[in-house]
Amino acid sequence: MTAVAQQRYGAAQGRSLFGLGLNTWLFLAPALIFFLWYQVYPIVRVIWISFTDFRFLTGEPGQWVGLDNYIEALSDPLMWTSLWRAALFTLMFLPGTIIFPLLLAILVDRVKNQRLATFYRVILLIPAVIPSTLIFVLWKWMYNFQVGPVNLLIETLGGTPQMWLGGTELTLPSIAIMEIWWGLGYHTIFFLAGLAAIPKDLPEAARLDGANEWKIFWYVTLPRLQPIMAILVVLRFGTAMAVIDEYLIFGGFNRDFPTYTWTIFMYDQAFQIGQWRQGFAAAIGMIGAMGMMIVVAGLLWIFRPKG
Amino acid sequence: MTADALPRQRSVAIPPETWLSRHRGAIIRHGIIWLFLLIIVAPLVWVLLMSVKTLPASMRPQIWPDSFDFSHYAYVFEKIDTLPHNMFNSIYVTGGTVLFTTLFAVLAGYALVHLRPRGARVIVLAFLLSLYFPTRVVSIISIYEIQNYMGLINSTTGLILPYITLNLAISVLIMRSVFQLVPHELFEAAKIDGAGPWKSLWMVGLPMVRNGLVVVFIVNFVTAWGEYLLCLTLTNDQEARTMPVVLAMAAGGLGQWAWPRLAAVYVIVVLPGILAFIFAQRLFFKGLMEGMVKG
Repeated sequence: MTAVAQQRYGAAQGRSLFGLGLNTWLFLAPALIFFLWYQVYPIVRVIWISFTDFRFLTGEPGQWVGLDNYIEALSDPLMWTSLWRAALFTLMFLPGTIIFPLLLAILVDRVKNQRLATFYRVILLIPAVIPSTLIFVLWKWMYNFQVGPVNLLIETLGGTPQMWLGGTELTLPSIAIMEIWWGLGYHTIFFLAGLAAIPKDLPEAARLDGANEWKIFWYVTLPRLQPIMAILVVLRFGTAMAVIDEYLIFGGFNRDFPTYTWTIFMYDQAFQIGQWRQGFAAAIGMIGAMGMMIVVAGLLWIFRPKG
Repeated sequence: MTADALPRQRSVAIPPETWLSRHRGAIIRHGIIWLFLLIIVAPLVWVLLMSVKTLPASMRPQIWPDSFDFSHYAYVFEKIDTLPHNMFNSIYVTGGTVLFTTLFAVLAGYALVHLRPRGARVIVLAFLLSLYFPTRVVSIISIYEIQNYMGLINSTTGLILPYITLNLAISVLIMRSVFQLVPHELFEAAKIDGAGPWKSLWMVGLPMVRNGLVVVFIVNFVTAWGEYLLCLTLTNDQEARTMPVVLAMAAGGLGQWAWPRLAAVYVIVVLPGILAFIFAQRLFFKGLMEGMVKG
């Protein structure tokens, strides 16, 4: 064992396994080139143009304007409204996408019959393998005023049909429900992996000590699921704050719609109106991204491993 | 919940025990699970039933069709002329993306773990950071500029380039954690037997990371098949677009986009992925667990 460990240590310290540095870089090159080309460079470029008055359709390179775009964006009430709308959506979405999968995972984890357990998992994961746009299209129809089954169900139960999408107050909650449905099975699988990692004798011991199921859940299970929950909260906060496709499909570019969030504000400025003020749009994007990063850092600090 | 822990004690206390009372906890448990399963499956069943309704029946408020009409599936391919084109675009773009991303992720994952380059930690950190930053949204401004500079606006092939990076970071990280489960000694042994880095990846590495490959494959398929933002922004003509984007633009109603026809297109587009997943689910779940160990 020590020999192996030392060997590993040596390899990690010194040259690579096959001694050829060039070969190693050949393996890494495709991934790195694409990563630099389509992810790192665009971000750096966006940061740069956020300090210029770059308008795409004029065809001229932007002139340095310092913090002007940021000052203009931050003094525009729409910037704050659009950020608040994204935050509001996140608040509607985040609790449901943690609590329901957690509940479901605890139930599925107790299924003893292996075939049934596999069956449940496969059905649960079906929405996760439906591509994003097809999820949105499907729910656009589900919420349709005329033929949508959601209104049909409500009418059958004696309620009044609602306008779910298209800028009404119900739009953000409707999208949140759709997103919770989408992530339900996938997050359940996440929690199931966490539950499987808990040694079975821990809840058994607590049970023998006379703890009831609720106490076992609260004091034994939940603390051990916390790392997974932390990952999910941080990741889903990120996706929820930066939603854009859903808002493009369900909302559009009406500034009064609750779907006009900072992402749509950015897109609107960059590709829709006027001469495509991409310098200004870049500033909007960076303000949104920086706001998100601050909250993510805060969340990571809250969930930091203790002790 | 408590009913679950007690059945044995109860059988002593109350002699006339029925099957129902003995299994009450399990029945409630499975009942709740089935309720969730129903909620998950219901929208898909609805769209499937819609695709076989007759045109007049599709506008009536009922779920179950009176009579089944399967003609919409043939109709959409014969009468909507851009449809085969969009379908081809989807297959072409998705195929290219999945192929390249998976290949790049395998190479990078293997190199990061077993070839041990200097700066591996920096690379992993950069990939990880890109997951927390809203890269996809913010970078769109400059990606348009890049594609425009290269003359790739409105080019279906051109879409593959930015598509490859959509999931590149997560794919590399998944492959990295899967390769970490392969003992380094296997590659050492291959080296002693005279295999080079390429041969040892092909002969020793690949068979060991099969499950992880399935996960990366499915994750990339799902993303590329359903991508909206880039396709919408970088292409202008319906001819150049992929199937889901055309579907999202189509307003349901009359004519070629009547509801059952729309639903038939939907079923054609969504079914291959679901079937592929059900077929590969065993490998997928194993790979998911392996990929999660450190991912």
